[in-house]
Amino acid sequence: MGALAIKNVTKSFGDTHILKGIDIHIEAGEFLILVGPSGCGKSTLMNIIAGLEAPTTGEVHIGERIVNNVAPKDRDIAMVFQSYALYPTMNVRKNIAFGMETRGVPKKEQDEIIARVSKMLQIDHLLDRKPGQLSGGQRQRVAMGRALARDPKLFLFDEPLSNLDAKLRVEMRTEIKQLHHRLKTTIVYVTHDQIEAMTLGDKIAVMKDGIIQQFGSPEEIYERPSNLFVAGFIGSPSMNFVECHLAEQGGEYGVSLQSEGDARFVALPNGARLADRIGQKVILGVRPEQIEVAEEGEPGLACKVHLTEPTGPDTMIFTQVNGKEVVARVHPRAARHPGETMRLKLDMGKVVLFDPQTELRLV
Amino acid sequence: MTSYNGPAQYGFAERWLPRLVLAPSFLLTLVFVYGFILWNGYLSFTTSRLLPNYEWAGLAQYTTLFANERWWVAVKNLFIFGSLFIGGAMAVGIFLAVLLDQKVRQEGALRTLYLYPMALSFIVTGTAWKWMLNPGLGLEKLVQDWGFTNFTFDWLVNPDMSIYTVVIAGIWQSSGFVMALFLAGLRGIDDSIIKAAQIDGASLPRIYWKIVLPALRPVFFSTLMILAHIAIKSFDLVMALTGGGPGFSSDVPATFMYSTAFTRGQMGVGAASAMMMLMTVAAIVVPYLYSELRGSRNG
Repeated sequence: MGALAIKNVTKSFGDTHILKGIDIHIEAGEFLILVGPSGCGKSTLMNIIAGLEAPTTGEVHIGERIVNNVAPKDRDIAMVFQSYALYPTMNVRKNIAFGMETRGVPKKEQDEIIARVSKMLQIDHLLDRKPGQLSGGQRQRVAMGRALARDPKLFLFDEPLSNLDAKLRVEMRTEIKQLHHRLKTTIVYVTHDQIEAMTLGDKIAVMKDGIIQQFGSPEEIYERPSNLFVAGFIGSPSMNFVECHLAEQGGEYGVSLQSEGDARFVALPNGARLADRIGQKVILGVRPEQIEVAEEGEPGLACKVHLTEPTGPDTMIFTQVNGKEVVARVHPRAARHPGETMRLKLDMGKVVLFDPQTELRLV
Repeated sequence: MTSYNGPAQYGFAERWLPRLVLAPSFLLTLVFVYGFILWNGYLSFTTSRLLPNYEWAGLAQYTTLFANERWWVAVKNLFIFGSLFIGGAMAVGIFLAVLLDQKVRQEGALRTLYLYPMALSFIVTGTAWKWMLNPGLGLEKLVQDWGFTNFTFDWLVNPDMSIYTVVIAGIWQSSGFVMALFLAGLRGIDDSIIKAAQIDGASLPRIYWKIVLPALRPVFFSTLMILAHIAIKSFDLVMALTGGGPGFSSDVPATFMYSTAFTRGQMGVGAASAMMMLMTVAAIVVPYLYSELRGSRNG
C-alpha cells in the first residue's frame, strides 16, 4: 500500500517557480529523505505534504486519500520542526498533551500515551519542566514525543537535527533510525546534510532548483548518481571530477590520465558501449575511496602529493590529475608526505562518466 | 611594549567630565522632582490654603480630603476610567495586533494609521472628541439629521455617563500604541510554533488564546504598567473633554487636585490628594520595578 504519493506537484509565487513538477511515491514504513542545498524547495514540498501550504497544481495522496483539500490536522500526520516549536508557556506534559486535548482524547488515555512516549524517549523525568529549562537535545526529544503521541500515518521531520551540536546530532540520528526500526512508521525527513540522508534514508530524493534530480535508494544514488550535481552533492569528501577524452587503444576503450610527470591510459570495463563517443570529451567521476594505492608491479599513475589530511581511520591525499585537484582516501600507513610521489590506481569498475554538456551520467 | 599592571590612570578631566556633564540634569531632577515631592508632602501636613504656609496641622488635611464627597467621586471615576480604559485599550489593541499579524497587505501603512492617535496630545484628542460627542454638534445631530430623530447620545452632558466619554477617547488614543507593543511581541514568536499547533489541530483563536498570548506575558505586564500610570495621571484628557463636568461628575483625582489647590484655594487638601495619587502610582510601579530589576540581575 502506498503511504505517500506526490503527483506532478508544482508551486509558484507569481513568476517564481519553487517546485517544478515533483513526483514521489513511497510505501508504508519507508523512510524518505528530501535532501538538497538551501533554496531547492525541499521545505516548501514538506509544507505542502503537511498542508501548511497549498500546491499550485498536482495532487498529494496520503494513504488512499487525496489530501489537497484536507486541513493539516485531518491529514493524520505529525511534524517535528527544526526549531522544535515547543509551546513556550506549557510544560513538557502539556506540550505533548496539547494535540490530544484538541482532538478530544480522554484524559486517562492521554496519561497512558504520555507515560509510554516519555519512557520511550527517556524524558519521563522532565515532564514538569518548561521548554526554556531544557537543553537542545531534550527539546528535540520532547518535539519527537509530541509527534509520537499522535501515532500518525506519516511523520514529517523538518531538519530536526540542524540546531544540535555535532556529537548530539550523531546520537540523535542513531536514535531516530532505531525509532524507525522499532515503530515501522512512514517518515518524510528534510535535511541539507548528505550524511543524514545516506545514513537514515530508505529512499532519497535529491532536489535542486525545484526539481528532483534523482530519486532512489542511498546505494543507487551513491554508486550511480544520475548527474554531476547529485554526484558532487552526495558523499564527503565530494566525488572527484576529471576532464578527459575517450580514446581507443589496442582494442580497448578508455581514457588517458596525466599527473605531474606521469601519464597512462586506463581502460574502462565494458567501454565498448561508448564506441560512438571516441574522441569526445567526458567527465570522469571517481570517489576518493575508489582511488587506491597501486601495489608493487601493478600499473599505477605516479602522483605528487600536495597535501595530506589525516582523519584518523583514513588519510586524504590531495594531488592533481589532468590539471584538476583530486582527493584520494587511503590507509594512513600507505600515505606519503607532501612533496613525495605515490603510485595510485583507479577502481575502474566503479567510476562513472558524465557528459560535459548535459551533465548526465553516461555509464 | 611596556605593560602596566594596576588601575588605569585617568587625567583630571577624564575623571570629572562625566560627573560634570551629568550634574545639571541630576541637580534639576533632584530639585524639581524629588525636592518638590518632599515639599508637597510637607505642605499636605500644614494648614496651607491660598498660599503655602508651614504651620503644622498633622493629618487635618487628609481628614478633610476623606470627608469630601467630590474626592470620592473622583476616586470612583478613576476606578471606572482606569479599569475600562486599561481593559478596553488592551482588548482593542491585542485584537488589532492579531489581525495585523495575519500577513495583511499594506501592513506598514495600517500600522502607522492606528498608531497616529498616539502622536496627538490628549488635549487635541479631548477637544476633537468633545466636538464629536457634543449632542448639538456631533454624532447625535448627524444621526438625527439622517432622519433618526429619536436618536440620543448625550453622554457628554449626562452626569451619570460623562466619565464613559473619557473612556472612549482614552481607548481611541491608546489602543494603537498597545497594538504596536503586542505586534512587536507577536513578531517575536516562532512561526513554526503556530504551524505545529495547526497540525495539532488547534483553531486560530485557540492557538492565540492558549499558546501565543500566554507567551506574551512580559509584553502584557509592560503594557499594563504604562496604561495604569497614564490612567492615574490622566488630567489633560478630562480637562479638554469634559472639564470634570457636568458639575464634578467626571472629576478624576488629578483634576480634583488641580482645582482644589489652584482654583479653590485649598492648597493643603490639594497637596494631600496629590500624595494619595503618588502612593497609588508607587503601589503599582515599585513592585513592578523591583521584580524587573531583580529579574535582570538574575538573567
